[in-house]
Amino acid sequence: MNDDAGWDVVIAGAGAGGAATAYGLCQRGLSVLLLDAGPRFDPATDYPLTEADWEARDFPEKPGSTGAVTFAPGQKLIGDEPLLVSGSRGLGPAVTNGVRWMEKYHHVRGIGGSTLHFTGEAHRIHPDAMKMKSRFGVAADWPIDYAELEPYYVRAEQLIGVAGPAVQGARWRSLGFPLPPHPLSYAARTLGSGAAALGLGWQANSRAALSLPWGGRPPCNYCGACNKGCPRGDKGSADVTFVTAALATGRCTVRPDSPVVRIETGPGDRVTAVLVGRPDGSIERIECRNIVLACGAVETPRLLLASDGLGNESGEVGRNFMDTLEVVVGALHPEPQHGRRGLPSDAICWDFNAPDAIPSVVGGCRFYNASGESELKGLAGFAMRAVPGWGRAHAQSVRRLWGHSLYVGAIGERLPNRDSRVELDPTTRDRFGMPVARIASFLDAPDIARLRFMAAKSHELLAASGAERIFESYSSWDWFSATHVFGTCRMGGDAESSVVDASGRSHRWRNLWITDASVFPSSGGGEAPSLTIQALALRTAARLVQHSRDSRSY
Amino acid sequence: MKRRDVIALLGLLSLGGAAVLWRNLASLWRPGSNVHIARTLAALADVMFPGDGIPGASGLGLHNRIEAMPDLTALMTTGVDWLDKYAVRQGVSDFLALDETGRLAAVDAAFASHDGDTRQFVLTLRYHLGTAYYSEPVVKAVFAYTGPPQPDGFADFGDRPA
Repeated sequence: MNDDAGWDVVIAGAGAGGAATAYGLCQRGLSVLLLDAGPRFDPATDYPLTEADWEARDFPEKPGSTGAVTFAPGQKLIGDEPLLVSGSRGLGPAVTNGVRWMEKYHHVRGIGGSTLHFTGEAHRIHPDAMKMKSRFGVAADWPIDYAELEPYYVRAEQLIGVAGPAVQGARWRSLGFPLPPHPLSYAARTLGSGAAALGLGWQANSRAALSLPWGGRPPCNYCGACNKGCPRGDKGSADVTFVTAALATGRCTVRPDSPVVRIETGPGDRVTAVLVGRPDGSIERIECRNIVLACGAVETPRLLLASDGLGNESGEVGRNFMDTLEVVVGALHPEPQHGRRGLPSDAICWDFNAPDAIPSVVGGCRFYNASGESELKGLAGFAMRAVPGWGRAHAQSVRRLWGHSLYVGAIGERLPNRDSRVELDPTTRDRFGMPVARIASFLDAPDIARLRFMAAKSHELLAASGAERIFESYSSWDWFSATHVFGTCRMGGDAESSVVDASGRSHRWRNLWITDASVFPSSGGGEAPSLTIQALALRTAARLVQHSRDSRSY
Repeated sequence: MKRRDVIALLGLLSLGGAAVLWRNLASLWRPGSNVHIARTLAALADVMFPGDGIPGASGLGLHNRIEAMPDLTALMTTGVDWLDKYAVRQGVSDFLALDETGRLAAVDAAFASHDGDTRQFVLTLRYHLGTAYYSEPVVKAVFAYTGPPQPDGFADFGDRPA
């Protein structure tokens, strides 16, 4: 027990996991200091979606909102993969040197973390995808099952105000979604006609965007720009949901611009303090009774490794890195669609989501309407990417075809392997002298086979919808551009092969907990991870409170 | 005109030689000079994005943005030089001396070129000019659904587009 600590729990990271943990702890009576490396964003002023040049702006960057990472050399691209080559008719191939382009790890530092720029899909993981080792002989099993997580899914969905359909296949529910599903956009219905022609399911996606007023927040007005930040507050990012709820308890202190740069340890296998960077470059030492790491699957292993390999008794910290396995295909439909109207990813096909649903490949995937979030960047992006050429003929084609684009996206299971990992960069350090994370990502043959299926089915779905003129395609095969990342502090029952136990606590360090996607033993079959992170975080918070009361350690 | 050109002109004026002044002014319009490159870029802007009942790219001053990008200076110089040499092979002094048909053919040839720098030149020009052109409010106003997504959103998101 550390009696000098000012809070019961210090949480590093105020994104999906940290914010949900803070709420779960505060609701149960514990006091929390919620730290984040990045700034606070003001939805009313920071997201300029009323400006004329809105499409040219990505999610805003503020000082400290983007952490630096480096990349190991990209994978050599082998073989002819015509369906997986990234590029567009207008701009040509994206990769020309035969090596996978390690472009970017997309994340946001700040109060709300990457939920600030997420699309807002709210998915439960497929129950079978939690048992990949015992059922399918790959990856690792989760030490808990879907039934264990289900009550926490319900709590998270209620707080967020998730809008979704009554039934989602294998994802059984003890309680319906709190809000009805959003109506499908016109573009989603066009793709739905193609899905029907192919005999595929196509239903409203479950979304962390309000279909009706909820918790004092207004409903969505279908502007389609979720990824640029939601100025209305209807998108259920962590800042307007879990952080707000934690603050309402009166037991949560939120501190932005406060990166944790090192964790200190003491006797009895306990962590004792965190060292926190200040904006002026100085370092502050904060005593801890308990610390929860929720910095994401890149930054959490970085912090542990930079703290003399804390929690790495198994050697698994930073290992088992899984990034986003994705395909996006765009095509022109004979009729105008104007697919940026409405919620991005408003419709989804779960038919191939189970780990054994894709023929001859272990690991599932899902397909969705990507028309609204293709980063087409409005008219300019369309004119440059969808319509080749220049001159008067180009101008006339742009006039004729604007609004005719449709996109299908697919996200799939990414299996871990020994070559994909997060480690400390040996030469690059941040302003506090902490080594930055270096990401290595390698796709094995099953991942590439899954990508092929995802691309081929996306083409089929577009064609069946009437959109046969493919004008661009992007895939993880030649382009690392990751948003969902997992696995680098795997949870498991065996201390020799995992970093945290089934409660999310370090196998050795008794007051060190992790509540982000780094604990996922498997990625799932393309589900967006934020809701599962939040459900796990609420469960870990409950375990932490119970443990603290049992051991009288706070 | 760069500062060193102004200083040079002042120096020439101090000499008081009108003929000398004329020769130096004229040289600024010659192939390889900044003014010549600027004029060629303006012409290229209108060849690539001529407008179609709306102002073309040069009318919107978009070629000036290319000039203002220091990273592109070398590539633009190389590309304009290639176009000028192409024009000379067609029997005129430079790209600007070509008629509209000739300019179209020259740009076509640049896109089809096997020379990496030349192809990079026209691809880069197309990307930057085109992105700027179709981001211009006067151009966007001709197209449906190009306005800011907020504060109104899209109440018609479920409807067939008008």
